[in-house]
Order: sequence, then structure tokens, then C-alpha cells
Amino acid sequence: MTYLAHVINMICFYALLGTSLNLAVGYGGLLSLCQAAFYGFGAYATALIMMRSGYSLFQALPLAMVLTMAFAFIAGTLLTRLRGDSFVLATLAVQLIVSSVLYNWTDVTHGPYGVSLPRVISVADTALDVPEGYAIVTITLTTVTLLMVWRIVNSPFGRSLRAVRDDERSASALGLQADRFRLTAFAASGGLAAIPGSLYLGYTTYIDPTSFHLSESIVILTVVILGGAGSFWGPMIGALIVVLAPEGLRFLPLSSAATANLRQILYGCLLIGLMRYRRQGVIGEYDFE
Amino acid sequence: MNTILNDGDGIRTAGAYPVLECHKVSKAFDGVRAVDEVTLSCRPGAITALIGPNGAGKTTLFNLLSGTLQADSGDVVFKQQSIRGLPQWKLARNGIGRLFQDVRVFERLSVLDNVLVAAAGPASGSIADALFRRSKISREQRVLVDRARTYLADVGLLEAEGRPAGTLSFGQQKLLALCRLLAQQNELLLLDEPGAGVAPAMRELLGNVIRTLARKGCAILMIEHDMELVKGLAEYTISMVNGRVVASGPTAAFLNQAAARRAAAGL
Repeated sequence: MTYLAHVINMICFYALLGTSLNLAVGYGGLLSLCQAAFYGFGAYATALIMMRSGYSLFQALPLAMVLTMAFAFIAGTLLTRLRGDSFVLATLAVQLIVSSVLYNWTDVTHGPYGVSLPRVISVADTALDVPEGYAIVTITLTTVTLLMVWRIVNSPFGRSLRAVRDDERSASALGLQADRFRLTAFAASGGLAAIPGSLYLGYTTYIDPTSFHLSESIVILTVVILGGAGSFWGPMIGALIVVLAPEGLRFLPLSSAATANLRQILYGCLLIGLMRYRRQGVIGEYDFE
Repeated sequence: MNTILNDGDGIRTAGAYPVLECHKVSKAFDGVRAVDEVTLSCRPGAITALIGPNGAGKTTLFNLLSGTLQADSGDVVFKQQSIRGLPQWKLARNGIGRLFQDVRVFERLSVLDNVLVAAAGPASGSIADALFRRSKISREQRVLVDRARTYLADVGLLEAEGRPAGTLSFGQQKLLALCRLLAQQNELLLLDEPGAGVAPAMRELLGNVIRTLARKGCAILMIEHDMELVKGLAEYTISMVNGRVVASGPTAAFLNQAAARRAAAGL
């Protein structure tokens, strides 16, 4: 039961991360490689707010979300003016900068030693220190977040964003300010990544920079592309595959270090296979050229 | 008569206020003048054809008028205000619509959504609206959807409203692009070869839509190589060669003169 609850928690984290990135990649056409930077920013922001103000996780989460969105907005102001390969490379730079800051700003982040929460997360005096209890929180917040995203992508804003993605010049000729839509999508995508960041922190009660590396950004991108970019349900399917497929590796007679490396190889092979045979993923609307 | 045409020697005027006035507009690329001191104007309800060989500067002129490019010199006045330096999206919101030669529909969006993007215009929504003002959006959307369906019915695409626009034929995509312009309710339309690559039967339908737009008071400037379409639609014709306006006048007289010149030359 504990193992199953752990898997459910992990599926929810990746579904949230994939859904947040899907807003930029699938709906906005912004191929971003820095989602783990926003994920990490959200997690660290939550931890620092909790430690310095005494707020609970659920009080700190909205604040962390606003801070992460502000950070994504500032980064997006520079990045979303770029197009194509330049944009992708610039997001890579953001990812590397954030990783470097997390490692080296030791006064705040404690560098490679990471940050530990002083207490376990509790709701109504019930400690959520086991995966089963925490899964209820994760599932609830995942549902609320997905409902929010569903409203966004099925609104006039979502329709205009997809129009900008499909043909920016044509969208401009119809009166849409393309840069505004791209920037809003990028900032919202970053802000949403703070939710799984906070949840992951609450789940593990410890974070360090290794969880928010470039490799994590690539795993999140795999979730989006695998399930289908530009599809609301795509990241859910992608999260199921990305979390469940490596679980099969547990049954192989390998060390845990070897299994971790195999996991990366498996994701890499999945991405290559998708780009070769099914660029739109399992149920995607948007395929990569 | 409700169009002003100017070939640089003088302005012929008639009818209502011009909605667009273009004064000695020039644009050069690497020293080559793609548009060279072009002066013209358009009045509400008039269809003006812009003809000339490939490379004459017609599409560049459209790019200057729609804000895609900025002129090196000269001025463009739309609704009595200079639009120099304004970006394309602002001009579109002010009432300048454009049909691209290569159509450019939103291929992954449904036919209905394509029209709704145009119909929504400045009210194209925000995340706050999506999350917190659902009932207001729903009310507005119902009105927009009804309007969009009326326009789709006008161009015969209502039955295809749920299909991705990319699955339509080229001619249907042109109709859809025109339908978006109908929904946008512009005051000036720049149509880049509306008849190109379209079957004769659909060309007639396209012509009817363009006439409808003009009857609603929209000024239309249309690049076209098909002289039959020009003769059938345009009241005035402007001819461009090497970036300059070389001749202009009422279409019937203009085409007769051109035919007479060709006959005299034994062509």
C-alpha cells in the first residue's frame, strides 16, 4: 500500500510538472528546457518561507507560486522575444544559472547540503508523514490545479494562445499581441511549476539541487512530448509512462545506481523513438518540426 | 466614384473621406528600392486592384500598410491619423485586415475557432478572465459563436466548423481566411491575390464575399494577377512596376487602354 501511494504521489508530481510545461510548450509553442529551474525555485521558495516565517506548507505555497511566477515573468520578458533555436538555448541558460545559484548561494540554499524542513507536514493536526496520507493532499491539489489549467486552455485566452503558436504573423494580423500571449503563458507555466515544487518538498521534507538539474527538465519535457503536447490529458498519460516504465527496472538484478542510469537511458530512447515515429506523442495536438 | 488614386502627377478625388492615404512611401532593401515614393488612397466601399509583374513591390507595399515593415520615408495615414511605427497587431485592432497570399489559417484550430479568434479581437481574454469571470466569458462566447456561425454560413463553411482548418482544401482555407476578415469588421482590407490557386466555382464565391465586404463600407485594396477577377470586382486599378506606381484609373478604361496598347504593339 505504501509503495502504491508513493507511485501515485510521483505520478501526480510529474502530471503537474508536465501540465505546467505543456502550457508553454504545447499551447504556446515555446520549447523550454528550464522547467526544473522553476520547479526548484518554487520548492526552495516554499522551504525558505516556511523556515523564516513559520508558515505552514499550505500558507507558503501560494506565496511561492507568486514569487516563482514573478521570476518566470522576468526571465520571460527577455526570453519570449527570442524565437526558435535562440529561445531554446536561452531557456537552457536559465536552467544552468538557477542550478548554479542553488549550488553556490550557500547562505540561502545551503548549497549541496540542501534544505531540510524542521517538521513534517500536517493537516488538521494529522501528520502526513506516510505516503498514503500525503497522497490525499497530492491528489486534491493535482485535481484543483488541473481544473485551473483546463479552464485556462479552454478559454478565449487558450484559443488565442494556440493561434499565436500556429501562426504568429497571422495572429498579429488579426489583432493579437503575440508577445503578450507568449510571455503570459511562460510566466503562468513557471508559476504552476511551483505547486509540484512545494508538494515535493512537503513529501520528502528535504530538497537539494540535484532534484532540479537540467536532466529533470528533460524528464519533464519527455512527459509532455510522450503524452502529447497541446493536449490537456497528454501530460497525465506521459506522467503514467515516465513513472511506471522505470518501475519495471526494479525487477531486474541491478544495483540502484545502475537502475538510476538506466532510467535516464530509457527516457532518452523514448524521446528519440517519439521524434522518429510519433512526434505528436500518444494523443498530442502539436508536433515538433 | 469613391476612391482617390494618385500616380504621382496628381490626385483624382471623389466621394467620401479616404480611409487610407499613403504619401510618397518608400522602402529599400540593401539599396534596392522595393517601394519607391508610392502615393495612393482608398475610400470606404471601394475595391481597388493593385496589379503589376512579380517583384513590382506590391506585397512589400502591403507589408508597409499593415505594419509588418516600417517605411524608410513617407507617411501612411489611416482614419486621419499617421500609423507610422505602429505594429501590425495595433493596426489590425484599428481596422486594417489582411489576407495573405499563402492564406495562413490556424491549421490545428477548428474552423469555428479560427473565426472566433478574429471575432474576439481585443477581447481575446486573459488568464484572470478564464479563472474568475467564467459566466461573463460564457455570455460573450455565446454571442461570438452565433456571429461566427453566421459568417461561416455566408461562405458555405458552417458544416465544416468542427474540422481542423488544416484539413480544408486550399480554396476553402481562402474562404475561411476571408470569413475571419468578415468577423473582424475592418475598415480597410488588404487582399493579396485572393483568386490565386482557387477553382473557378470557388472564385465566384470569393468574389461575392469581397463584394459583400465592400458593400458594408470596407475599403479594399487587392493585389491580383487574374484580369477577369480585376474586371469583375475592382472599380479602380493601379499598376506598379519596379516599386513605382506607373498608371492608375477606373478599371474599365484602364484595361481598355492596356488592350489598345498591346494591339498597337502587335502583341
